[in-house]
Amino acid sequence: MISLRGVRKTYASPAGPVEAVAGVSFDIKEGEFVSILGPSGCGKSTLLMMLAGLEHASAGTIQVAGEALTGPRRDAGLVFQDATLLPWLSARDNVLFPIKMMRLERDKYVARAEELLRSVGLGDFMDKRPRELSGGMRQRVALCRSLIHEPSIMLMDEPFSALDAITRDEMALVLLDLWSRHRKTGVFITHSIREAVLLSDRVLVMTRRPAVVVADVTIPFARPRDESIQDSAEFNAIVARLRGMIEHSIKEAA
Amino acid sequence: MSDAVLPAAPSVAPPTSLARHWVAQVVLPVLFAAAVLGIWEALVRWYQVPEVILPAPSVIWRRILSAWPFLVQHSVPTAVEAALGFVIATVFGILLSVLLVYSRWAYAALYPNVVFFQLIPKIALAPLFIVWLGIGPSSRLAFSVFIAFFPVVIATLTGLNSTPPDMLRLCKALTARNWQVFLSVRFPYALPHIFSGLKIAVTFAIIGVIVGEFITAQAGLGYLVLFASSQAETPLILAAIAMLCVVGLVLYGIVAGAERIILKRYGH
Repeated sequence: MISLRGVRKTYASPAGPVEAVAGVSFDIKEGEFVSILGPSGCGKSTLLMMLAGLEHASAGTIQVAGEALTGPRRDAGLVFQDATLLPWLSARDNVLFPIKMMRLERDKYVARAEELLRSVGLGDFMDKRPRELSGGMRQRVALCRSLIHEPSIMLMDEPFSALDAITRDEMALVLLDLWSRHRKTGVFITHSIREAVLLSDRVLVMTRRPAVVVADVTIPFARPRDESIQDSAEFNAIVARLRGMIEHSIKEAA
Repeated sequence: MSDAVLPAAPSVAPPTSLARHWVAQVVLPVLFAAAVLGIWEALVRWYQVPEVILPAPSVIWRRILSAWPFLVQHSVPTAVEAALGFVIATVFGILLSVLLVYSRWAYAALYPNVVFFQLIPKIALAPLFIVWLGIGPSSRLAFSVFIAFFPVVIATLTGLNSTPPDMLRLCKALTARNWQVFLSVRFPYALPHIFSGLKIAVTFAIIGVIVGEFITAQAGLGYLVLFASSQAETPLILAAIAMLCVVGLVLYGIVAGAERIILKRYGH
């Protein structure tokens, strides 16, 4: 479904070219949920922006559904670190925002928007504006917004990192539930190892300098999953293994 | 789902806070102004200050009443020209800002010059407008537009650039057209900034008209101030200035009222 081969991204800077992504290759199957895990500044977000068609690769190829990616694709849903809702629109209208921007017929999507909001527990908050919602609620609206136009890929850039620890755990479960119902191909950028293991079918570990993928770890837990898997020895062993890989790569880069 | 909703602002404030608000917002400023006027009146009477130097507030008030039709007649051209100058400056200011935001070349060519003109003491250029456009209302209007234009441009530019970058990325990812992003995202995001600029612009527009009237006019409150000073009619000068305050307050009030209504819809 998604295929990257030798993808590089280099930015020009006054001090010379800076390599944000230094040759990355991997595949993501249709319906697979893949987390990209790594320390801050390792090029994870740049990679996601390239997958969204918002940044061009300096070298290498990205293919989505067999076609070379040349620009933004309408079949991708984006979620950012901040909910980035329009402050003057209700939760419902924020969810319907992509429909307006894509010049689709709004009436056909209102019921879907309401159903999505109900599914994340916001049935009673559809007419509320973002300032009347908590951080977690705003991020749930953003998740619904990313799904409104029925995209085949969900691209999420550390969507819960601005939330407090309790809300963050809760949001991971909301996403787990939402994803099990919609089964999109998911790419999830995070620096939380537990979040990555809980949510993903595979975890790719990225390092800084060079910004490459150093490990591709399959997560063996069956779906549907719930939070109880986090208590298992296997879960904690995978978390420890991933932590070891990241610490090792940080030491090597230093 | 245990998220708590942030409490909405109470529709009716508790009596103590409402009373405190009323005291702070209305009673205190009015009392302070009344005290200043009272002290002014007392000092002028006590020291028997000549009327031509500084008339007492009661004398100014009587002059306002006696010259009322005359003051109203002169307020009209000032108010109309200031309002027109403000509207033209707003339209041009917003259009120029949009051009600067959407055209890299226009930005590179024009923005440094806009900043340069911003630094010039613009009042010094007023006589040039008379040279170019004559002594009619057009030179006063053009000068008013020239003065009021800059705050609109700077505020609108800041506002149009205040859209969160992720929101613009989202729009791009959704293949939104530029005009859609402008109308649905960038312009509404810019509104609070634009209104800050408009509130400065409306006062600048009045200054522009008054300066123009000082130089050329045969009517208007600026002309009246100059005429009264040539007659050493200090109460009339101050009566005209009081009318000028009223004109300024009304125009500012209209902009602030519009801001209140629009930001209720588009506020953050």
